[in-house]
Amino acid sequence: MGILRAFRPIVAIFYTERRFMLIAGALLAAVTVLAGIALLGLSGWFITATAVAGLSSMTALAFDVFAPAASIRFLALLRTASRYGERLATHDATLGVLAGLREQLFRSWSRPQSARLLIQRPSRLLFRLTADIDALDSLYLRVLVPAGVAIVTAFAVTVTLGLMHPLLGLVAGFWLVAAGLGIPLLAARFASAPSRRRAHALEALRSRTIDLVAGQTDLVMTGRLAAQKLAVASAERRAAAADDQLNWVEVFASAGFGFASAILLGGTMLALAALSDGGAISGPVAALGVLVALAALEPFAALRRGAVELGRTVLAARRIAPGLAVTCPALPGAVPRDGLALRLAHVSVTHDGAPLPCLRDLSMNVEHGERVALIGPSGAGKSTLLALIAQELTPVSGQIETLRAALLTQKTELFQDTLRDNLRLAAPKADDNELGHALRQAGLDTLVASLPLGLGTRLGEGGLGLSGGQARRLALARLFLRNSPLWLLDEPTEGLDGTTARDVLQRLGASLQGHAVVIATHIRREAELADRIIILDHGRIVAVLRRGEKEFATALSALRPD
Amino acid sequence: MGPTADALLALRSEVSPDGHCVDLEPAANGKPVVEGLADDNEGSGALRNACLLQVVAALLFIPQAGLLAVAVGNIVAGANWRGVVWLALGLVVIGALRAGLDAAGMRLAFLKARKALSELRERAITALAQRSPLDVTRPASGLAASVITEQAEAILPYLARFRPTRLKATLIPLAILASIFPFSWLAAFVLLLAAPLIPLFMALIGWGAKAASEKQLIEMGSMNGFLLDRLRGMTTIRAFDAVDMTARRLRADAQSLQLRTMAVLRIAFLSSAVLELFAALGVAMVAVYIGFHYLGQLPFGAWGGRLGLSEGLFILLLAPAFFEPLRELSAVWHDRAAGEAALAALQQLADNGVALLGTNDVAGSLVDESKGVSVKVEALSFSHAGNDAEVLHNIDLEAKPGERVAILGPSGSGKSTLLALVAGLSPHARGRITVADHVLSESTAQQLRARMIWIGQKPHIFAGSLFDNISLGRPEVKTNRTRAALALASLEHVAEAHGNRQIGEGGSGLSGGEILRLALARAAAGTHKDLVLADEPTTHLDTATAQEITEGLFEIARGKTLIVATHDPVLAARMDRIVVLSPRSAREAA
Repeated sequence: MGILRAFRPIVAIFYTERRFMLIAGALLAAVTVLAGIALLGLSGWFITATAVAGLSSMTALAFDVFAPAASIRFLALLRTASRYGERLATHDATLGVLAGLREQLFRSWSRPQSARLLIQRPSRLLFRLTADIDALDSLYLRVLVPAGVAIVTAFAVTVTLGLMHPLLGLVAGFWLVAAGLGIPLLAARFASAPSRRRAHALEALRSRTIDLVAGQTDLVMTGRLAAQKLAVASAERRAAAADDQLNWVEVFASAGFGFASAILLGGTMLALAALSDGGAISGPVAALGVLVALAALEPFAALRRGAVELGRTVLAARRIAPGLAVTCPALPGAVPRDGLALRLAHVSVTHDGAPLPCLRDLSMNVEHGERVALIGPSGAGKSTLLALIAQELTPVSGQIETLRAALLTQKTELFQDTLRDNLRLAAPKADDNELGHALRQAGLDTLVASLPLGLGTRLGEGGLGLSGGQARRLALARLFLRNSPLWLLDEPTEGLDGTTARDVLQRLGASLQGHAVVIATHIRREAELADRIIILDHGRIVAVLRRGEKEFATALSALRPD
Repeated sequence: MGPTADALLALRSEVSPDGHCVDLEPAANGKPVVEGLADDNEGSGALRNACLLQVVAALLFIPQAGLLAVAVGNIVAGANWRGVVWLALGLVVIGALRAGLDAAGMRLAFLKARKALSELRERAITALAQRSPLDVTRPASGLAASVITEQAEAILPYLARFRPTRLKATLIPLAILASIFPFSWLAAFVLLLAAPLIPLFMALIGWGAKAASEKQLIEMGSMNGFLLDRLRGMTTIRAFDAVDMTARRLRADAQSLQLRTMAVLRIAFLSSAVLELFAALGVAMVAVYIGFHYLGQLPFGAWGGRLGLSEGLFILLLAPAFFEPLRELSAVWHDRAAGEAALAALQQLADNGVALLGTNDVAGSLVDESKGVSVKVEALSFSHAGNDAEVLHNIDLEAKPGERVAILGPSGSGKSTLLALVAGLSPHARGRITVADHVLSESTAQQLRARMIWIGQKPHIFAGSLFDNISLGRPEVKTNRTRAALALASLEHVAEAHGNRQIGEGGSGLSGGEILRLALARAAAGTHKDLVLADEPTTHLDTATAQEITEGLFEIARGKTLIVATHDPVLAARMDRIVVLSPRSAREAA
């Protein structure tokens, strides 16, 4: 059962997160449905019994109206209360699972290789991730709860009708299970392929729309705009075709429930008529049986939507579950010998699926407090080397020994959070004084002081609300808070105007004391901070130049002036 | 959208004051959008038929209930079971008919709704494709993609489910009242009394929870946002050893959100409990009334007569059916809010705005290919739509066939805009642009562009491999041409490193220089080109790479007319002529 295997880690999360609420929700849902059936059945019995009793005034007076009338009112209130409780319990459970699932997912994506994947295809992958999480939500509400309720209902109906005649109970129960569970299972089976096709078609629709809008100029100028429109339209046609198939499945399932229900009703009616005719049951009991049969298949119909969506849910589980099962072990990196901050020996790195390595047999040392600039044409492997030192990548061969490094990424990464919490990412225990000190060092203290909420100011998505220079300074302040012996800076002033860049660099230079630094750069002003320049080309070190050597100055002057 | 989001949307509609469940007003706002969309009578007729089929299917329950009541009456009266056979058969046949009609109605409604969705998407796509890149109100690609892909999905349930359900909720209770009334005015009165109280109570409860729940809904939506935001910055979080801290924070935030949400839900779900209570009590009251009526304790309510067993059962069976469409309607109520929001969003994307020049595909060549291409710009002025400030004012520029011209100027002087106007990427209000002796206009732009090469400063990386990104699926660009272009742009080592894999979205995994080389390769792969327009090709590059890109650019432009917008003095110095563009004027420098 591949489906069950795919769901196991997800169900495990459901179970550990909100065991009580999950079960309570399902039970209350069952109570709601049973109370509804019982209300109708009992009302039918009551009316029939009173009608029979009312034929003569003697029996009419002797008839005990109190118990059934009170039971009917009680069932009406019970159904309302349990429905209310069910909604609260299932939503509490779902919200709780939501919290747990997101935390687990986050942890599973924090492994080094996963982070690289995230960087490579951010929005498509992230879109898929949220779509998958949403699809998994329906597992509990639309599959597990209705299935549980349906089974309980089948059991209750079997017992009720079985008390009238065992064979009737068994046949009705068998019919309920066969039709009530068979139809959703068939529907799930037929819907599985189209619902996966639909998910893929929507992903294609999304990425082709992005290509159409963001790549419009390139498309117009190469005469491919019309072709791209056709490509979007073809993704939409695929989605429409899948929708169409899913709708057929839903229509057939819906009609199937209608037929099965009509047959159950007609059959039960005939059986009860025969039983009543033979004197085995009374008229009112027969009425109760008919009304129970009328309502019996209704809970199964709730499975229809979950069944049609099951294929999508399985797809989501298959994509999400493997990551959830793995816990992230903290890798204790090897520490270099005394006096060194970093030692690489014959390291090669190959990106997944790439035929050739992007770093080849690379060896280098960085001493405590030393400042090294990595330069080289774009694509030479500078960023890959930094990612390797930061342990974002693992080498295919060679040794790496490094002190704990702090990385300033090329693209400033800030979060939708307060300034304080953005900073405290680097130093969770830092108080406002320490944060203020770091902000002063980075030249951001006046700005923060001018904000009405100060450190409590919230940033938008990806640090929205700050200019490029301000965002860079904030990232710098965060780096200063991190008392790391080795700093890795990836083009720290790229994209800043000259004045801001020089100010940022000057502040950075003033704080470098006691830290070993590796800067990847192609700008002269950044490389000027270094004692040593390492030139990379095609993943190899082609030259190492020290300050004071003639080539050092030559290399500097060849870099982009500003 | 998952059920959690569904529930929250449902919550919003349940608690909004206009979110009452009996909407007897068939004309909802937002209707014109769809009606206007499918003006063909056949189309809207299909939806009406779909609705009617479903209504008829639901109405068939009334004769079914009648048969059922008569059958039970016969059984109780001690009839032979053979006497019930025909009634049971009738039940099965009507039941089957009901199922069939309902399925047909669902199918028709779906077909109509899906067609509408496809049309709306196509309209939005067409409008987006034509929208000029210089139109500042043009929606961003991410927004457009999420409206067209995810948000638009809400239209399907809105059109296919909400409307038939609303019609059912309007007609079925009336039909049931009409069926009960001839037997017992009191039972009909009980139901009639219960029905309007439901929306009243729901509205009363809703008002209290509305404000709080809307705030909650927004926070709820930000749950995914929070996770995505943190995933995007995973490198930094890992670099600061903050994985565990962030994970715990994620959970704590989600849990506090859960507590607050549940506090709101406790009140909000009361409204659905009220509906449930009235439905249940309605059935209970009808049952108890009929029971006491039979026992002679409530002898009134049946037009002075006395109800028979079958009549009583008939009324009892119809009582829950009276509330059923209302419950169905409340279950799909949120489809309306989401559906109408999606319709409005798509409609906004389909707004035309400022269009490109010449969007219709015109085949055939307009220009004599043996001659080169000259460019003449006369007294050109341009300002963005809705903004009077002129970006370009009275510009003149001329490039002879084969000439290499640099447009030099500080940022904001309109260099890029000028290039875009020459390419016909936007109409211009005043002045004239002549390319190869043809005036650039709606009818000529497409054919003139066929002879141009565009190298932008931010080339888009399409979903696909490096090779796909160079050929862009152009039929004239064969494999050997792509390989030659790859060599010209010195991208072979990137091709080796990437193989046939997809390039990272937005070009991540490629360096800035590599992305520009890709643009060069894309440009070099084209055929029959005589004019090269390059927009700041060397910005943000290191000296060596800038040098290489410049060489590649000259290689591509050999024998062609070249116009480069730049503020790189090194590049400008290598051109035949420099035109300096200062804000709002252009003058010859050399």
